Amino acid sequence: MAVKSKSRQTRFPVARIKKIMQKDDEVGKVAQATPVLISKALEIFMQKLVDEAAREAKSKGSRKVTAYHLKRTVEGIDMFDFLKDLVVAVPDPGDKVAKKEEVLGPDGEPKKRRGRGKGKAKKKQESEEEDEEEEEEADHDDMDEDYE
Amino acid sequence: MSDNEGMMHAGDDDLSLPRATVQKIIQEMLPDGMVCAKDTVTLIIDCCVEFIHLISSQANDICEKESRKTIAPEHILAALKELGFDAYVEEVESVLKEHKVQQKEREKKSNKLNKSEFTEEELLRQQEALFAASRARFAASGGQPGAP
Repeated sequence: MAVKSKSRQTRFPVARIKKIMQKDDEVGKVAQATPVLISKALEIFMQKLVDEAAREAKSKGSRKVTAYHLKRTVEGIDMFDFLKDLVVAVPDPGDKVAKKEEVLGPDGEPKKRRGRGKGKAKKKQESEEEDEEEEEEADHDDMDEDYE
Repeated sequence: MSDNEGMMHAGDDDLSLPRATVQKIIQEMLPDGMVCAKDTVTLIIDCCVEFIHLISSQANDICEKESRKTIAPEHILAALKELGFDAYVEEVESVLKEHKVQQKEREKKSNKLNKSEFTEEELLRQQEALFAASRARFAASGGQPGAP
């Protein structure tokens, strides 16, 4: 499946990559070009990961790429073996709690979800149920500062 | 390399890639009409960091075997090959070439500043002439600082 790559405008922060590299105690000095090269390799790697995860999502009829799609991707491709530990905790869709059930509040009325819920710890199971929701979760506005 | 000044450093243990940047990149990479769930962005960031560690660690081993202290571009390329990312080598090599060219340009510019056509005496004379002219203007304006 040929996936069209849009022109890539955004780059990885090279200084940050260097810091990540050097977080490993074994890693000492690093030539100036090195993080730049890793940045490129990372870009290629990420494109592959995203392509495959998107393919998985599409095959499941979803427009939204979820953690589970990523998990399936990692498990299915040898190149991604080193990522297996990272995805092992991702629950399978069958484990989902209350997909679209209405939760009743104290007054007996269905509780509406107010906003996006900024709490990170909030309902991890909910993450799987975002499939049918609107684009609201696809927050492409820059709420965070760009570091570059 | 520039550091992220003005950012609150939560400590190196939280070292990761900036969320907004990665999210943008993911969106650029996804086919039209597809989006990525929020928690999946986090997971992808973790995968990227893991990839950086993987390559760095391998490159570091290669570097040490050569009894060298600085991880050089060729170590990165060798690491990619050893880890099964041969397909990346060509693109990464061309980034390396580009980088070298840019380095030369940078050097040329800084050399130009260092090797001005004037000797140091000439430069001093020019400086003195400029000062004299400035003093003359100052006196002519009635010795008032800030006068036009």
